[in-house]
Amino acid sequence: MTTLPSWLTDRSRSSDIAPLLLQEEAGSLEKLAAEARAVTLRRFGRVVSLYAPLYLSNFCSSGCAYCGFASDRSSPRRRLEPDEIERELIAMKALGIGDVLLLTGERTGSVGYDYLRRAVETAAKWMPRVAVEAFPMSVAEYRGLAECGCTGVTIYQETYDPDTYRSLHRWGPKRDFFERLETPERALEGGIRSVGIGALLGLSEPVGEALALARHARHLCRTWWKAGVSVSFPRIRPQEGGYQPSHPVDDRFLARMIFAFRVAMPDVDLVLSTRESPRFRDGMAGLGITRMSIASRTTVGGYHDPDTAGSSQFEVSDNRSAEAFCRALRSKDLEPVFKNWDPAYSGPVIDEQPICP
Amino acid sequence: MDSLRLGSYTFTSRLILGTGKFSSTRAMLDAIRASGTQLVTVALRRFNREQAEDDLLGPLREMDGITLMPNTSGAATAREAVRAAHISRELSGSPFVKVEIHPNPHHLMPDPIETWEACRILAGEGFLVMPYIPADPVLARRLEDVGCTSVMPLGSAIGSGQGLSTAEMLKIIIRDSSIPVIVDAGLRSPSEACAAMEMGCHAVLVNSAVAVADDPMSMASAFAEAVQAGRRAWHAGIMPRSGSAVATSPLTSFLGTEP
Repeated sequence: MTTLPSWLTDRSRSSDIAPLLLQEEAGSLEKLAAEARAVTLRRFGRVVSLYAPLYLSNFCSSGCAYCGFASDRSSPRRRLEPDEIERELIAMKALGIGDVLLLTGERTGSVGYDYLRRAVETAAKWMPRVAVEAFPMSVAEYRGLAECGCTGVTIYQETYDPDTYRSLHRWGPKRDFFERLETPERALEGGIRSVGIGALLGLSEPVGEALALARHARHLCRTWWKAGVSVSFPRIRPQEGGYQPSHPVDDRFLARMIFAFRVAMPDVDLVLSTRESPRFRDGMAGLGITRMSIASRTTVGGYHDPDTAGSSQFEVSDNRSAEAFCRALRSKDLEPVFKNWDPAYSGPVIDEQPICP
Repeated sequence: MDSLRLGSYTFTSRLILGTGKFSSTRAMLDAIRASGTQLVTVALRRFNREQAEDDLLGPLREMDGITLMPNTSGAATAREAVRAAHISRELSGSPFVKVEIHPNPHHLMPDPIETWEACRILAGEGFLVMPYIPADPVLARRLEDVGCTSVMPLGSAIGSGQGLSTAEMLKIIIRDSSIPVIVDAGLRSPSEACAAMEMGCHAVLVNSAVAVADDPMSMASAFAEAVQAGRRAWHAGIMPRSGSAVATSPLTSFLGTEP
């Protein structure tokens, strides 16, 4: 693929969301919030599913201008060894976590597919649900991960504007816009059950990014009818490297974007991480967001040994403990759910032949 | 006594409750008590043996007079549903399984092909199989033929609150079935549950409508009363609906009496 696909450029595919993002009259945000709340309640009820990230490594071969793990940052590099991964998982388990997102940077010699696959195998022994947010892989590699218990793959396009994309991804494998754009579909073709997509808000003009993201989500839902698709809303946070967003997104626009996605896509999981402040997260819970990260450590080794962990990919904004965050959810009449999956359902999605003749 | 028979089990309540979507375990347990239900369904994915506070199975098992019906929500294939049923039976001790197979995790519509396959296997293994299905009369009969204990056709899309949008198909299923027909999914209000019972359904399953109500306990008891009223009305014989006036004096008396 070298030109933008029609599913990404065809504006009619997001024409219902555009007016929701562009409304300016007084009271429109409140009205949209009420609608988002009603849709969320009806489809998802009063529960919020929780997950936590586990940073396996901060080695990286790419030069993303906005990332604290980019290969030109001076911070020391390390990867978790198998016994350390196990210790991290045990520490996370003690916090009640049952849904883990394993993260790495772009593929390097020491952190490649074999390393990641072993990490998934280990994680699947401890956690009912395992997902990865790592480097793009081949269909066969994704199938391998699904076979050892990986249920989800998160892969953000970062920006849907190819020119901005090229200018921010200064070198490395991530420089190829189209290769990245095709990655969620490779994951699904490999039998991964759900993919998480997102745009890193702040990199490019936000309305255009939101609409492209919506078209991407719809394309995936339509093309891969068995796929779970979730949408995240990461905003640029302060990080080593000091990148300043050229198109900062304020709270009101971010909230509007989330409400609009909920109303237009009533049954897609919408995800909000600890990048956001406690005030914003507490406010948005129940108003469209259905999955949230908790107790996040964005350093390598941050759960079992926070004192000696390395530098972070970005600064976490919501530092509350799992317990404190759950208290906040409960005070809003929402139930935090730690386990909302079962390994009985893990394994690649395939069109099976009947079990019995 | 007008009781619901499912396998060797007998229930006086014809309201079945789902246990997801509640704001807390406490709210769920209170709603179950208020509903007077004797049969509840719980998803294997919400069994959490390692963290009591997050577990739905433990508190439900401790309730008196409640039979558990684990469900396979999350399964995308027959193979996964069968695996989940086996695990659920081991953990819950219940012979019931509500087969839910929805390969599309967004709209959660049941897959008729995989569902039939899973039901055939599980019924053969002695489970009391209660499949969640599209309101398809042919599928319902197929499932009866492979030994299902009941069929649970949807009233409308799960979580949609659109009521009995499949009413005409449900009537055919009820007419043609020899096993209990339980409307599952889509009911928004007690009046819709009542309508399902008046139609001749043997029971209804409700979850979202109770779980997301401002007062789940009151809503649960309102559903219970509506189900009872609908059942009584069905027994009493509902006056047929007529499209035109019925003449009080015979129109054909001038023709003399019939030979």
